[in-house]
Amino acid sequence: MKKLLTTSLLTLLSLASIFAQNEKYVEAMTSSIALLDKVDKAKNDPVELQGIANRFERIATAETKEWLPRYYAAYCYTLMGLSGNSIVEKDKYLDKADGLIKESENLVGKPSDEILIMKAYAAQIRLAADGMNRWQKYGALFAENIEAAKAVNADNPRIYYLEGSSLLFTPEEYGGGKKAAKPFLEKAVAKFATFKPQSSISPQWGKMEAEWMLSQTN
Amino acid sequence: MKLFYYLLFFSTTVTYGQTVIRGKVMDKKGKPLPGANVFLKGTYDGTTSDQDGVFYFKTAEKDTATLAATYVGFEISEKKVELNGKEVSHNFFLNESANELNTVVITAGAFEASDEKRMAMLKPLDIVTTAGAAADITGAIQFLPGAQRVGEQEGLFVRGGSGQETKIVIDGMIVQNPFFSSLPDVQQRGRFNPFMFKGTSFSTGGYSAQYGQALSSVLLLNTTDKVSNNGLGISLNLASAGLNYDYATKNQSISAVAYYGNLKPLFALVKQNVDWLHEPEFKGSSLTYRLRPTKNGVLKVYGMYSDSRLSMNSKNPSTESGTTKLDLNNRNAFMTSTYTDQSADGKWLLNSGFSYSRNKDNMTFDAINFDRFDERTQARLVLTRVLSGNNSVLFGGEAHAINLQNGVDGKLYYLKDRYTAVFAESEIYVTRLLAGRVGVRGEYSSLLNRFNFAPRLSFAYKTGKFSQVSLAAGQFYQNPDYRYSYLSKNLNFERADHLILNYQIIKNQRTFRFETFYKNYAQLVREFTGIAFDADPYRFPWGTTNNGGDGYAKGFDFFWRDQKTIKNFDYWITYSYVDSKRLFQQFSESATPTFISNHNVSLITKNWFDKIQTSFNMTYAFTSGRPYYNPDNKIFLADRTPAVHNVSIQSSKLTSFKGNLVIFYVSVDNILNTKNVFTYRYTADGKTRYAVGPQNYRSFFVGTQIMLSKKAKVDKNDL
Repeated sequence: MKKLLTTSLLTLLSLASIFAQNEKYVEAMTSSIALLDKVDKAKNDPVELQGIANRFERIATAETKEWLPRYYAAYCYTLMGLSGNSIVEKDKYLDKADGLIKESENLVGKPSDEILIMKAYAAQIRLAADGMNRWQKYGALFAENIEAAKAVNADNPRIYYLEGSSLLFTPEEYGGGKKAAKPFLEKAVAKFATFKPQSSISPQWGKMEAEWMLSQTN
Repeated sequence: MKLFYYLLFFSTTVTYGQTVIRGKVMDKKGKPLPGANVFLKGTYDGTTSDQDGVFYFKTAEKDTATLAATYVGFEISEKKVELNGKEVSHNFFLNESANELNTVVITAGAFEASDEKRMAMLKPLDIVTTAGAAADITGAIQFLPGAQRVGEQEGLFVRGGSGQETKIVIDGMIVQNPFFSSLPDVQQRGRFNPFMFKGTSFSTGGYSAQYGQALSSVLLLNTTDKVSNNGLGISLNLASAGLNYDYATKNQSISAVAYYGNLKPLFALVKQNVDWLHEPEFKGSSLTYRLRPTKNGVLKVYGMYSDSRLSMNSKNPSTESGTTKLDLNNRNAFMTSTYTDQSADGKWLLNSGFSYSRNKDNMTFDAINFDRFDERTQARLVLTRVLSGNNSVLFGGEAHAINLQNGVDGKLYYLKDRYTAVFAESEIYVTRLLAGRVGVRGEYSSLLNRFNFAPRLSFAYKTGKFSQVSLAAGQFYQNPDYRYSYLSKNLNFERADHLILNYQIIKNQRTFRFETFYKNYAQLVREFTGIAFDADPYRFPWGTTNNGGDGYAKGFDFFWRDQKTIKNFDYWITYSYVDSKRLFQQFSESATPTFISNHNVSLITKNWFDKIQTSFNMTYAFTSGRPYYNPDNKIFLADRTPAVHNVSIQSSKLTSFKGNLVIFYVSVDNILNTKNVFTYRYTADGKTRYAVGPQNYRSFFVGTQIMLSKKAKVDKNDL
């Protein structure tokens, strides 16, 4: 009897430690995502974002099988690519983002709409850094990844948010502008309303940004 | 119950057994790195360094662990630490990782336009938008340092070299007929659309052992890997109308182009110095197919065909009327296919290609047959092994089969050459600051029945964060002008030895580049006719020949570009100086050849007006006088033409029409209507001199490009 009790207790204990490990992961991710949500997306302060990226990267080194920490770190660096001081600095962050995206892609091992969207986002920021010279290469890369993401999950609202934001900042001469962007942003907002993330730490960003941009198209 | 206490005891030790870890993260020079990530590997414990690079955190981990620091753009640094409650203190000095900014690049002699390489001095778009270049690649390249402008001939004249000493290479394959068929004293355009290319590298000497058959220079053009624009495009201008269609799927794409042109309407508006009997009329088409069969493999097949005809009265002072009627019908076909791939680990790169070109000129001078025909088939294979630390070694070979026919005064001459070459080259990085490239090339020509062996060498050393010096030296061989080989069977390769020293600094969107060179010419073909010099550039060389000629060219050039000082305004200045003499062709003594101009200056400005989406570009070009042959002057080639000045402007506006991108462009060449003279010629009796100038003085051009792009148009149905 005593033996049985000890065995079951030990089993319970080891199970608990696994749960604890997972709980620790979810908790660390949740607190880091909360920090990321708090970042003023109009400013995208690189110092603040660097600290958050570092948190995700630390989780990534401990959790070698998880793609989400790398994905979120890539998202931080992509945002930093938007606020860098020079093309060189922006490219430095975006190179880092590209590397992390690649790592998370390898971990998932099959096409993931979220990763394809992040690839499109990084291409979009890369394009924004030097539009005149880069639209040919990165415009195509953006479109390619958006199409691929649609093929995986056409209901992902971030697809339409990125398409809309891309058009909003494209001159009318190239087929962009407020009028062109509006239907995409409307669609994004509608999709966000019904979007159910797979877990509490799955990607959920973009809703606020899409709503703000939609308000700018009027 | 005992167990419970056990557990309690266990967990309390964890809480109280914390270790403090502190220190500072710096670069090699001790400069603090704020925002660095410091952590214990395999745990969640860590922190971010503050603005002074200082870090501090606590950990509950036990025993030994690895403390690591990472920072964007730097290599990771690790330290084994003992965690036993005693404070751990460690300062990190991180190594910058190799990148384009801190690693030297071998640049002597090369001038690059690229989107992908961040250190390139130009972007491909810069070439297309240069005023005075008429959207022609060589037209724009001739404004770059090292190039001399020769208005009455096509080709790139580089550092004292003739137009034939430059080879144009597309994806590694030599282009047999890069320009439209040569006409007496009328410069011809290149056959290729500049939008086909993603990168251009113009070498003014000292180039890689991968290329040969060019005494002076190679212009390397790399075609794009994918189409950027899905849909139909229409181009309409004063000279031509064209259609292009692009279609791309995930792994393959196709581009088709068809055009028809007739210069009659343009020439009716712009006064011509040439007496046209039939204005140039041309039609053509091209087809490109690209396929990505594997993850990294790219297959490209490009084919083009064009047909052009014209008729003119060419100046010929030896006839009674003073002119000769010339009729020309040119048919040109060019096909090239390349396949590139790399091994899964990225350590082996493959570049291979096959191309065929065929060119036929049906030409009559005064109704006498001067037909020309040429054909070139070539195959090429290059394997590159990428080693650690940017080092690489490559080896490859190429084989060409060339057939030529030339009609002279109704008689047809034939020639065939089988040319093969093998080469090997290695790039060696001694450190990030010092690199070298060592190459060798061996060639054989069946026509000459000779071999040659050409060593090439270059070094580069990074002198500062933004600056570097490089040095290049090498030997370069080229077959003599094929015209000599129709009659003479004992010629050897011609040779040039290059020595180039380069300094460049690229900082904050400003570029300065200085290069000085010495070039030695040897084994140049000399012709002995036994009579006086004949200045007719189209004469057939009937005299006896040998390789007894020689010569030199020396000089320097600089380039300054500033994109920073004024917003949306970009300008660059180029100055090239060359001093050259040669003993070659029919020269009986060493002299400066007629294609040499000592000073070439160009100023190029580009202005972008964001609000009205309009660009305004200007080019000023100055070319000092060139020697010309005066039969009355006892001193050979001592006379100089006046200098050539040219101011051109170009403006383009982007707009949209029903959701399609529309580009309007207008350009004016020689806006000051300067009556430029390129050279002088004399009548056969040596009494009358006449000037050879441009085809027209001030001229203008307008056109539009419309892109009916699916992607640019937003349709409710697309959602």
